[in-house]
Amino acid sequence: MRRGSIASLIGLGIVAGGIAAAVALALPWLPTPASNEADRIDPLFWFVIIICIVVFAAVIAVMAYSIIHFRAAPDDLSDGPPIHGHTNLEIIWTLIPTLLVTAIGIVSAVVLSRNDALGANVLRVNVTAQQYAWSFSYPEANGLTSGVLRLPKDRSVLLTFHSKDVIHSFWVPEFSQKQDTVPGITTTLHITPNRLGTYPVICTELCGLGHSVMRTHAIVMTPAAFTKWLHSQATAVASPDAGVAGAAVFKNNQCSTCHTLAAAGASGKVGPDLDKLVTYAQTAGQPLATFIRQSIVDPNAYVEKGYPKSVMPATFGSALSKQQLDSLVQYLISSSKKG
Amino acid sequence: MTATTVDHELIPRRGGARHYLLHAGWIRAIWMTALFGAFGFGLTAGLRWWGDWQPIFKWTPIVLVSILVCAPLGFLAGIGTFDYWARYAIGSPTVPDDHSSHGATSWKDYFKVNTDHKVIGVQYLVTTMVFFVIGGMLALLVRAELAKPGMQYVDPQTYNGLFSVHASLMIFLFVIPAFAGLANFAVPLMLGAPDMAFPRLNALSFWLLPIAGVMMLSSFVVPGGAFACGWTGYAPLCSSHQPLGAVFFNQGVQWAGASSVMTALNFLVTIITMRAPGMTFWRMPLLVWANFTTSLLVVVATPFIAGSQFFSMFDHVMHTAFFDPTNGGYALGYQHIFWFYSHPAVYIMMLPGFGIVSEVISVFSRKPIFGYRLMALSLMAIVVLGFSVWAHHMFVSGMASYLRVPMMITTLLIAVPTGIKIFSWLATMWEGKLHFNTPMLFALGFLSMFVIGGLSGVMLGAVPIDIHVSDTYFIVAHIHYVLFGGSVFTIFAGMYYWFPKMTGRMYNERLGKLHFWLTFVGFNLTFFPMHLVGMEGMPRRVADYLPKFAGLNMFISLASFGLGMSTIVFLYNMITSWRSGPIAPSNPWRGMTLEWQVSSPPPIFNFDVIPQVVGSPYEYGVPGAQHAILTPARATEAEVPVQ
Repeated sequence: MRRGSIASLIGLGIVAGGIAAAVALALPWLPTPASNEADRIDPLFWFVIIICIVVFAAVIAVMAYSIIHFRAAPDDLSDGPPIHGHTNLEIIWTLIPTLLVTAIGIVSAVVLSRNDALGANVLRVNVTAQQYAWSFSYPEANGLTSGVLRLPKDRSVLLTFHSKDVIHSFWVPEFSQKQDTVPGITTTLHITPNRLGTYPVICTELCGLGHSVMRTHAIVMTPAAFTKWLHSQATAVASPDAGVAGAAVFKNNQCSTCHTLAAAGASGKVGPDLDKLVTYAQTAGQPLATFIRQSIVDPNAYVEKGYPKSVMPATFGSALSKQQLDSLVQYLISSSKKG
Repeated sequence: MTATTVDHELIPRRGGARHYLLHAGWIRAIWMTALFGAFGFGLTAGLRWWGDWQPIFKWTPIVLVSILVCAPLGFLAGIGTFDYWARYAIGSPTVPDDHSSHGATSWKDYFKVNTDHKVIGVQYLVTTMVFFVIGGMLALLVRAELAKPGMQYVDPQTYNGLFSVHASLMIFLFVIPAFAGLANFAVPLMLGAPDMAFPRLNALSFWLLPIAGVMMLSSFVVPGGAFACGWTGYAPLCSSHQPLGAVFFNQGVQWAGASSVMTALNFLVTIITMRAPGMTFWRMPLLVWANFTTSLLVVVATPFIAGSQFFSMFDHVMHTAFFDPTNGGYALGYQHIFWFYSHPAVYIMMLPGFGIVSEVISVFSRKPIFGYRLMALSLMAIVVLGFSVWAHHMFVSGMASYLRVPMMITTLLIAVPTGIKIFSWLATMWEGKLHFNTPMLFALGFLSMFVIGGLSGVMLGAVPIDIHVSDTYFIVAHIHYVLFGGSVFTIFAGMYYWFPKMTGRMYNERLGKLHFWLTFVGFNLTFFPMHLVGMEGMPRRVADYLPKFAGLNMFISLASFGLGMSTIVFLYNMITSWRSGPIAPSNPWRGMTLEWQVSSPPPIFNFDVIPQVVGSPYEYGVPGAQHAILTPARATEAEVPVQ
């Protein structure tokens, strides 16, 4: 090869690599990390991206150079030189990629094992997934359950997942950690949140009609605020006032994801509007209390017109304790009569 | 008994209602479909009545047996795929040399059972293009819904059905069979063979395809709606929580899978036993190598997806509990079986494209393929490695965690043989005499897009990165760079490349180039931004999303409509050129492989004399080199290059 063509090839490589690097740097690729695990994945991502950009630039440079310099005139019927191969070149382009992917493999394995290693004083949270809601319970606070995941900053958290129906997947983009919840087996995920804030919890495994609305929030709090919250909530659910306790059950079970209820500030559109429960019960020809209880425990017994069958999970009957169910029914009666 | 009398007995007199009712064809197909369907209905309902199973008219098993199993068999019998074997089985006289259903003289012959591999190849390609257009329209409906957050046009059940059927059609009814169609046409010609080894089996494989496609599409009209659990059909969502439409998917996959396996066996036997004299394995064109390796994958892997879909269907219809944990089943078992097919399936959808690109780049660069043997060996390496990487689809699934690092290593290593191929194509172009006809443009488009898809694949292979992007739009971007930027670009390259040979006419080069640029630009504008929304936190398979992704989604939707429009240019070019394009010479690209040494379109049995293969198929630039010797009459035919 002539010196001029090498310079031209390198020039094309710099242009292609420069454009790719500009795309990589200018756009906000990963969300701002909010966990120690995401902080380790971030540099790994850039390590792989740099290798990818170099390979991409090399391929595009050779291709662009060929397109520019080896273009034949339409009437040129001659053939190129009969080059059948070059053993050393072939060995080189087998070895270099092998080394590059080996490097990526080693770094990835190190990051993976560090991300899975639990810290001291682990906070355990049991996560229950069902169509289409998340529920988080804290064994530390006598099984207090919440529909929103609250976590203390800088403490190693081990989430243990159970699914009541199909496969779901728990993901908080800012934590860069994800785990499927599989019916029949227990899965776990380790997260160490390190930035205060509210982040979306998203279901990423197709789980049915309400999959795209199966969302909630993860709130990272200071350890002091977290402890305070745990205590205040544990008291509310146990409240003898059915209104207070029912509202807590409604909130903790994520009813607002799918239902509208003015009293709870809920505006979900997937299932029937609970402000109209009185009318629905009349249509169904049942007393209000019986109707509400049946609709929660056995949702397919009567399906309001315009809503698909089975869109409401049939699992609440077993998930709620009798006391929780009573207070929820009481709460729905009193709130729907207001509306 | 003379041959004439046998013919007389076999072929009923033409004309007359009796002839049309009883002779193989569409009329017989219609009544036999109905008859077999009614038999299935009666059998199921009758058995339920006999066993006193209430309700007697339970629709799930009745539809399964009647519409999804019996009626398609009736269609196949009616259209005539079994005629020869049926006569043979009942001891009626058969005529091995009866070629009345071989070759096409009018357009009507393409709608009949035909045993000519060239006709079957065209039948495959036209059918798959129909499903490509339908599948593309479903994708545009998906993009219309996603243009804005919230729900606009469709309900969640329909939306989930749209993307599920889109993916199933594109995979099972477009990419896999389009490659089978191109290979059906080209492989026997390239081998110097008169046809495939089993022409009647070949015809049957084709006719299974429309059944699978119609089955998947018709799930939209059954009560409850289309199957809505994605083309992956994960249990227990698909096996226990779906309406009747899910069974249409389970069974559609069986018909398409049976077609694939039969074709693959046919290719293997053809390639192993029907090579022309002198055609050693190391003298086979790389397209033949590619289909040889693909067929190995199909034969070994496809039974696994068949099994997974049968188990899922049994769980749904017969209440077995293979994957139902509430009765002792194992939900992750589905994923292991499914991906043990569906990862190799990625290579089933890629290797034939590698073969096409090897042909195109060598011919349009006027140079031998660089490192021919390593190219063939890297195909074999991909076949072997391809069976050891399936669990990389399951890094976040909850499978045994020790499996992750070994599967990551094999996944990353598979980049090495793939890299060898890319570098070898580049080296083939180096110092060549490049002609940028449409097939070459699509081959180069493939090369650049597949590099991006391959590199994002390396990122996905790294477990911690995969944990972040798994099940997001990053995956959607990656698979479209591989299957659209990869497979679809090579299918277009192959269709333009062999169009003159198939039809005997040239396509319009100017429209071909316009089609390429519209596709290339539309493709990148549509799919590149998906990497970004996925990384930032948008999951896949959602009808609704966080408002912060609204701008990019609107952009993607608009670009996708542009990409959809580009197909119109392609269809217009194909249809008008086939009708009235300039007559094609026998060898417009000055190729050395055997299909270019016969007329366009080739004679009914491909070669008037058996070619004698004497050298490599890629000896461009070697003075006096020949791949094969045909009789003098053909070799002197005028060769007019078309630019």
